Amino acid sequence: MADYREAPLATRPKTLDPNEYFNLSPEQRRAEESRAALRAGLKRQYQLQLNDPHRKELIEDPALTRWVYARANPYPLFRATKKTSLLGVMFGVVPLFALYYVFKTDRDNKEEKIKAGTLERSFSLAS
Amino acid sequence: MLKILIPSMFMLLTTWTSPFKQLWSTILMYSFLVATLSLTWLAMPTDTGWFYINNYMAYDPLSSPLLVLTCWLLPLMIIASQNHLAVEPENRQRTYISLLISLQIFLILAFSATEMIMFYVMFEATLIPTLIIITRWGNQMERLNAGTYFLFYTLAGSLPLLVALLIYHSSMGSLSYLSLTSLPLTCSNLYANKLWWMACLLAFLVKMPLYGVHLWLPKAHVEAPIAGSMVLAAVLLKLGGYGMMRIMIILDPLTKELSYPFIILALWGVIMTGSICLRQTDLKSLIAYSSVSHMGLVAAGILIQTPWGFTGALILMIAHGLTSSALFCLANTNYERTHSRTIILARGLQMVLPLMATWWFLASLANLALPPLPNLMGEIMIITSLFNWSFYTLILTGLGTLITASYSLYMFLLTQRGPIPHHLILLEPSHTREHLLLALHLLPLLLLIAKPELVWGWTA
Repeated sequence: MADYREAPLATRPKTLDPNEYFNLSPEQRRAEESRAALRAGLKRQYQLQLNDPHRKELIEDPALTRWVYARANPYPLFRATKKTSLLGVMFGVVPLFALYYVFKTDRDNKEEKIKAGTLERSFSLAS
Repeated sequence: MLKILIPSMFMLLTTWTSPFKQLWSTILMYSFLVATLSLTWLAMPTDTGWFYINNYMAYDPLSSPLLVLTCWLLPLMIIASQNHLAVEPENRQRTYISLLISLQIFLILAFSATEMIMFYVMFEATLIPTLIIITRWGNQMERLNAGTYFLFYTLAGSLPLLVALLIYHSSMGSLSYLSLTSLPLTCSNLYANKLWWMACLLAFLVKMPLYGVHLWLPKAHVEAPIAGSMVLAAVLLKLGGYGMMRIMIILDPLTKELSYPFIILALWGVIMTGSICLRQTDLKSLIAYSSVSHMGLVAAGILIQTPWGFTGALILMIAHGLTSSALFCLANTNYERTHSRTIILARGLQMVLPLMATWWFLASLANLALPPLPNLMGEIMIITSLFNWSFYTLILTGLGTLITASYSLYMFLLTQRGPIPHHLILLEPSHTREHLLLALHLLPLLLLIAKPELVWGWTA
């Protein structure tokens, strides 16, 4: 199994740094130590799975699972703010009306020209 | 024709009476035999007209490519499902195969229907095996939600179609395809006639899917098992396109005015869903949105009702069916190894599985419509006929082509190139079965370069 040592270049949290240690109250120190113990427990679980010789599959990362779930189910997470409403209208509503206007006027102009006989068919396009 | 339909029906019997050790090989060989026989449908001695088998079933140059695609897909689905079903008990494996075979039977009957009501009944009937496959054999909890969306979107779209068909039948007396061309409903500009027009098309637009009503598709494709995804992408979407092509005949002259919103939705959907593809983290979801994008082009091509539009739509439907199904099979090879669909978890696969990288490359090139593949031919014909319809569509379709190319390349580069992540410690080498599956998908696509007359329908 891989050796568990502290990462040599990592900084310690302020409460466990010996230079700051005596500036802090005992409650803060105890809280920080218990958090560090939890982190160490998680790291041990991860390392157990990482170095398990019989492991064949990916290690499950709950943060990744939550992220993938959030990306796959955006609707419950949607909140109608000014920015999202503006984006929705800009990309979902305005283009439809704008394109309707563009296509309708273009086609109506073409229809008038066809009826008046002035349409120039400069490309010989089969349709 | 009956030499293909009756064997398909009896394949159901074979599924339940074969000895279990030989089940998959028997069904595979049987379905390959049926698929080979179905190629006779492509031999059209005359260029126009219907080939009638009996009073109720016929095929013509529009439906024969779709029929051949349906029959070709069954052996491919069997090959693809073999691995993930190996752990199931015997009866469940037989049930799964029976569902796939019954889906094929309904699809054959739908594409060869000569009357709109029979087409409608078969159109609805295909929903049931697909729903069972998605909700029972999907892999995640979301499959129930996916099945609900799939069923209710399609049903809500197609109940108005039933009403519209019955109205037409009661006033015109017949819904046979032969008489549809000569009996258009006199469509004045009454509001009721506009509603009838809308009711006729809504079912097919939901099925295609059109951009505004496409929500069921990413859910259904992602949650379905591989055979479900293959048949959904390859054939069931094309049912919508085929139905639209058939029903356009009776919808004149209202279509000239009323089709604008749907053409606009389709074209805008090409761009929007293409952009969504660039932001996807789930591989199957990316392929599903790319299906919506291609089908948007098909919908626009059909709605403008020109000969090239129809031809391009049909070619793109066939080419997209093969390409999309191939991409889902490739995504499934990733899924079977890592049991995750997240793209970033399985990168740099070219170093590990180089032969599979070849198939990824070909399928991605087909998806981005590389010449001389039929994907490009279909897209070019649709884009040209849209340009003739109105010059300004070129902005949308050109941008859409650009975005299609970029997300196809993005998918290829993200899955194949780059450094291999450190957490992947076991990737099985590619099975021969997987190579066979992809070869059988891409070989017809490459062969269609040489003879596109087979799939370009009856208008070109």
